[in-house]
Amino acid sequence: MATVAPESILKQLAELWVTMGKQGQEESGQGVLRACTMTLVVLAEESEDVSNLGETLAALMPEHPARAIVIRLRGTAERALSERVYAQCWMPFGQRRQICCEQVEIMASDAALADLPSVVLPLAVPDLPLILWCRSARVLARPEFRQLTEMATRTIVDSSGFADAKPALEWLTGMVASGLLVGDLAWTRLTRWREMLSQIFENRKNLERLAGPVRVVASDTGPLTTRALYFAAWIRNGLESLGAQVRVSILQAPSPSIELAGDGIAVRLERQGETLVATVDGASQCTNLPLPNDYLLLREELAIVRRDPVFEKTLASAPRLAYATE
Amino acid sequence: MPTENPFQDPLRFERRVPECAAVIFGANGDLTRRKLMPALYRLAYDRRLAAGFAVVGISRTPLSDDQFRQKMLEAVKEFSEDTRFDEDVWRAFAAGLHYVAGDIGDAALYQRLAQKVAEIESEHQTGGNVLFYLSTQPSQYAPIAGGLGKAGLNQGNGWHRLVVEKPFGHNLASARELSDRLHEVFQESSVYRIDHYLGKETVQNILAFRFGNGIFEPLWNRRYIDHVQITAAESIGVEGRGAYYQEAGALADMIQNHLLQVMATIAMEPSASFRADSVRDERSKLLRSIKPMTPDEIRADTVAGQYGAARIGGQDVPSFRQEAGVDPNSRTDTYAAVTFFVENWRWAGVPFYVRTGKRLPKRVTEIAIQFRPAPLAIFENGTGAAPSDGSPNLLIVRIQPEEGISLKFLSKRPGAGMNLRPVSMDFNYGSSFGERSPSAYETLLLDAIIGDATLYTRQDMVEASWAVVEPIENVWREADFPICGYSAGTWGPAEAGRMLARRGHEWRKP
Repeated sequence: MATVAPESILKQLAELWVTMGKQGQEESGQGVLRACTMTLVVLAEESEDVSNLGETLAALMPEHPARAIVIRLRGTAERALSERVYAQCWMPFGQRRQICCEQVEIMASDAALADLPSVVLPLAVPDLPLILWCRSARVLARPEFRQLTEMATRTIVDSSGFADAKPALEWLTGMVASGLLVGDLAWTRLTRWREMLSQIFENRKNLERLAGPVRVVASDTGPLTTRALYFAAWIRNGLESLGAQVRVSILQAPSPSIELAGDGIAVRLERQGETLVATVDGASQCTNLPLPNDYLLLREELAIVRRDPVFEKTLASAPRLAYATE
Repeated sequence: MPTENPFQDPLRFERRVPECAAVIFGANGDLTRRKLMPALYRLAYDRRLAAGFAVVGISRTPLSDDQFRQKMLEAVKEFSEDTRFDEDVWRAFAAGLHYVAGDIGDAALYQRLAQKVAEIESEHQTGGNVLFYLSTQPSQYAPIAGGLGKAGLNQGNGWHRLVVEKPFGHNLASARELSDRLHEVFQESSVYRIDHYLGKETVQNILAFRFGNGIFEPLWNRRYIDHVQITAAESIGVEGRGAYYQEAGALADMIQNHLLQVMATIAMEPSASFRADSVRDERSKLLRSIKPMTPDEIRADTVAGQYGAARIGGQDVPSFRQEAGVDPNSRTDTYAAVTFFVENWRWAGVPFYVRTGKRLPKRVTEIAIQFRPAPLAIFENGTGAAPSDGSPNLLIVRIQPEEGISLKFLSKRPGAGMNLRPVSMDFNYGSSFGERSPSAYETLLLDAIIGDATLYTRQDMVEASWAVVEPIENVWREADFPICGYSAGTWGPAEAGRMLARRGHEWRKP
């Protein structure tokens, strides 16, 4: 049975810095600069495109320099663990010194999942947050995963990877109820939409027109997605705090959109390519809205190492909406 | 009626930005083209502006709205440094650009402007909020404010704010007079005096560094700090601004405003909160604590310099007096170095050396805080160990070009023997936060729209700065005060080095 020894990985990391320091001195006379603001543990299936994930991590490092521990899940029954250690470096524009972050890759079979917490814990950088990013929906329900989440400052998942929104919401609410900090990339995908909607209601005149009955229609490309449920639940929470009577519909449509129709106000947000078009009472305004990729989503999530009250409130009310829509 | 937007999410959203119209006087000028319009476009690109944001450009040249939009489009394309041009974003942004032609001395201009602002309020639902930006000659500030007042543009629905660029007067009396004229129309709380240095990320980071961390503040006083050096060096000359520059000089152009504000940020007491007036109160108190100098002290503790001709990188560069528009006998300072002292318990006896100049070896702005040496030098000769090189602990705050903070300290060299050498621990803004930093104008324009005046200069701060700088200017104008020459491409006159050497210090070469 193959195993990994955290002490050995730490030694390899130390040796890596010595080697890179020497190389940097020889090549530029500047050495390398080590940067670290967190430990980022990534759980990914072995079948995932390794180069895509590598590119995402490389793009994240300049803004969120981290010791990245990528755990690749083999799914086999044989109890096996193996590892390799390397560095991710970049040269900031106009500078002579490389900035480097550490990366550790661990291959783990399903049978070895139970060994992961004892490997990850000593590898975590002391005194800095540990963020767990799980890209595999399959392992979320496993007890070994729960152990990892308890070590983490915050766990990030993507509920859009679940076949059904309801168990996803149940799992997430369970995590939050037990006091863990959780982020969901399905919610992150809504930030720019929500911000645009909020901007519209910065105008008090628009806000005043929401006091009566309001109909909300959230459309998404799939049937009853967590994203649509989140959006509808968040809007309903906001409207109810204004005293509005809200009726929500969730629909499947070719492109995502949200509509609010009240007494004397009609608002529609719709994605058109890389643009978000906001229409208020027939007048449209568009803003740049790149399609969110893993890098953009993680970039936002990694900046939040605390409780997210708006998400938690939305998450608490989304299941009610999911069952009501049934 | 609802008072709070229930859709706010401060953890994830950018700050709330109200709808408003920005009225730019001097809309055809260089500042508008190079800085203001690219900054506004970038804010639109980043979705930082409210949907109803509109701009009214004002200048004498007759232009239609479309011609103005075309000029601004060219400016955005030419001067946006790190922003991708997006046709859709521009189209939406440009739809809010309007233009009114007229002479600022003509009362009819303000009537037309009032009509335009009312139209925009109705069409864009700005709630009557207006930001007036005076990107004009300073001599026009008071007449414009007067014209706005007579047309009733300083009141009505919403807020009405006035942004003015430096210089805020050319001495204490003129600063007060300008302020009085502005206050006839706008309350002080509505006057935003822009100092783009305060909008730079690192200057703001000084506050985070000092007051967000517990470990530095206990060292931040005369007991541990030996002296402070503030340097703002430019490698270029006056670049076609000779006529303006010879009236101002380095002391008034840089030290009176930018560098004294930076010094105040470094040396101020912690504010009770991060509210605008709380921070500005502390800055103001610090500026008022700077010891005004007597004529004798000015002769000993200040140096004025002027660059001479030189050959730099194989290229001949002219002396200041040979620059276009400059009097061949000009005594204007293109270099200024001043030793300030702050009269309070924290800083008594600690020199703050402030220098600025043109045609210095490179463009750099930094603050160097030099700490006192260890009280006992146990690694000196006589103990059998090699001496240290005497390098002091230094904390360097770099404002430009590479924003960041470095701490220099001594460390043992690996190997046998106790050989110490200085090492540098660097925090680099660009690498630690790969996110693009907003330009100073983006930050400051947004702050003005939001109504956050923390990074703007208040009248009492302007007066306190002039109270310190004006006596120096008066002595420098005396015929027998030496304006020391220095070769372009050097770190300034030798006299500036001697000024520090008298206290056992020397200038850093950043």
